[in-house]
Amino acid sequence: MKRREFLRDAAGAGLVIGTGLPSLCSNLHAFAEKGNLSHVEARYYKKLPDREIECELCPRACRLGDKERGYCGVRENEGGTYYTLVYGKACSVNIDPIEKKPFFHFLPGTTALSMASAGCNVNCKFCQNWEISQVRPEQVDHQDFAPETAAAQAEAYGCPSIAYTYTEPTVFFEYMYDTAVAARRRQVRSAVVTAGHINPQPLADLVRVVDAIKVDLKAFNQKFYADYVRGELKTVLETIRTVAKSKAWLEIVYLVIPTLNDSLADIREMARWVKNEAGDRVPLHFSRFQPLYLVKNLPPTPVSTLEAARDTALSEGLKFVYLGNVPGHPGENTYCPGCAKPVIRRTGFNVDDIQIKGGRCKSCGAPIAGVWA
Amino acid sequence: MTRSRVVIIKAAGGIDPVGPADRPKLLRMFQRGFALLTGEPDDRGAVMSVFRPADRIGIKVNTIGGRAISTRPEVSLALAGWLAGSGLPEENIVVWDRTNRELRDAGYRLNRGPGGPQVFGTDTDGAGYGEELLAHLNIGSLFSKIQSNFVTASVSLAILKDHGLAGVTAGMKNYFGAIHNPNKYHDFHCDPFVAEVFDAPPVKAKHRLSILDALVVQYHRGPSFHPQWAEKFGGLVFGFDPVAADRVGWALVERFRAAKGLPSLKEEGREPAYLATAERMGLGRADLAAIETVEEAVP
Repeated sequence: MKRREFLRDAAGAGLVIGTGLPSLCSNLHAFAEKGNLSHVEARYYKKLPDREIECELCPRACRLGDKERGYCGVRENEGGTYYTLVYGKACSVNIDPIEKKPFFHFLPGTTALSMASAGCNVNCKFCQNWEISQVRPEQVDHQDFAPETAAAQAEAYGCPSIAYTYTEPTVFFEYMYDTAVAARRRQVRSAVVTAGHINPQPLADLVRVVDAIKVDLKAFNQKFYADYVRGELKTVLETIRTVAKSKAWLEIVYLVIPTLNDSLADIREMARWVKNEAGDRVPLHFSRFQPLYLVKNLPPTPVSTLEAARDTALSEGLKFVYLGNVPGHPGENTYCPGCAKPVIRRTGFNVDDIQIKGGRCKSCGAPIAGVWA
Repeated sequence: MTRSRVVIIKAAGGIDPVGPADRPKLLRMFQRGFALLTGEPDDRGAVMSVFRPADRIGIKVNTIGGRAISTRPEVSLALAGWLAGSGLPEENIVVWDRTNRELRDAGYRLNRGPGGPQVFGTDTDGAGYGEELLAHLNIGSLFSKIQSNFVTASVSLAILKDHGLAGVTAGMKNYFGAIHNPNKYHDFHCDPFVAEVFDAPPVKAKHRLSILDALVVQYHRGPSFHPQWAEKFGGLVFGFDPVAADRVGWALVERFRAAKGLPSLKEEGREPAYLATAERMGLGRADLAAIETVEEAVP
């Protein structure tokens, strides 16, 4: 099934489909009464006296009275029971190249049915998708897209994976989890794109049902996390450690923002940490920043900065280090750690050539870490 | 800076805020509160010293707490009625909050006119949030078009409550209901975010008056309703100075807490530090010694 056919058919079925992010205005002008949201009891919370609850999904540990919502804006205490308001409610569904997530060592050259619900449990000042991540579910268009439907659509349209992306899938954990279970029954795999702010127990449960996780490591110092993310570095590092030890494939993205997190000393320290804690085969992507949302006073990242970051990480022994958002740059390619020949050539999100067979370099036979089929 | 005046008007003999017989008492409370605050003895003079005849007035209520602990419709509609009876066109007054659902759950009947003050939420067709993200200090939000486009003068008519994160929620924090993403601004006890949302042009340029609905004050375990910690104070708190009004509200919360042997908010590590921040930003007075508090009862 071609992407164009999927978009046509899905739109006809009433899905919210876009070729990119939905426009801010059209979404925020479309309000939904709460009755149109889901009313499914959330997982990972504890009940407290006086109809209060404490959320145990992420380290924020929101303690909420009756009628209150958590920081994410999509989970609400109603009379002492905690509900997710976005179960089965997709605000964006697209078919994307898996490279767009980006995953470079997970089913390269394939497409992923990519989906999101509204909300996020951090507030990055440079968020690219704030129109759907930094809003409440009533404030965006969404449609019913049940887990089984998502799995069936992925299978029907030839997507070997479903990607939970665009916003923060942790906040729609129940929806993501059940979709991953439904997808696995159909031999459709699941790939998660996350900022990594999730507690150990839900993460341990998640890695058992998904196949790949890409963690956005926003910086390698807590001050940046406090000032620009409203999050905690230590939690993200723990998430990376856990995923690295699991059966799920791990990739890491580091968005390089000029003057804010582009210190080569930090990047060197980060690369060492990744090598020691997650291994030298974990793909690390240095992505180019574009001024968006609340950080509009900085220019796009110079390519030379990205190249310096990549060189630094390579010099620390990481085997697969990439540049992102620089189409056509040689740093998009995968090079064999054995013979240094390119084994996957890419241009932007397109895969031009793959020289890997059975997980090995066709040229020298060296193993290339990844999920290739 | 001169001392800020805050006026507390209590209903002598108490008040049943939902009983129709108490509307005259509520009207007397508004009448006396405006008179003491403005120094204008007659209703029209008091109202016209605050608003212009052509103003479109937004009365921002707080209805997240449902019927039990929200700005009561009897209170806000009495205010709207009294303003209309004092020379302001009724059709230019809108009682509003985030959503129609919350307004309905708090007992409001939605009204898009004609006839009577308008009552509706930001999620009403034709309202919504602004299309341009407003970045102000640490805030990045879309503002309700009711606040940014429709109204020219704003009254924060908030319920006074203890708040587990903010310490106290009152007139300033009420404007969290004017932005699309209030959930993002509850870290650090809402400090400096409450002050910074208030300082944003759509609020600061239009705010004229804070009135705290303190008929029933949730002084512990708020913002949700817990009847065992709700004091039937029977008062309204008036202030031009939004910081001073909230500071006096905070003092009331502490008074009720102390009377029940509860620790102070400071002892619980959640005093509303955003008020001191607001004072540093020049938004008003947060020091009780710099606030002239006048308390009266009306029959």
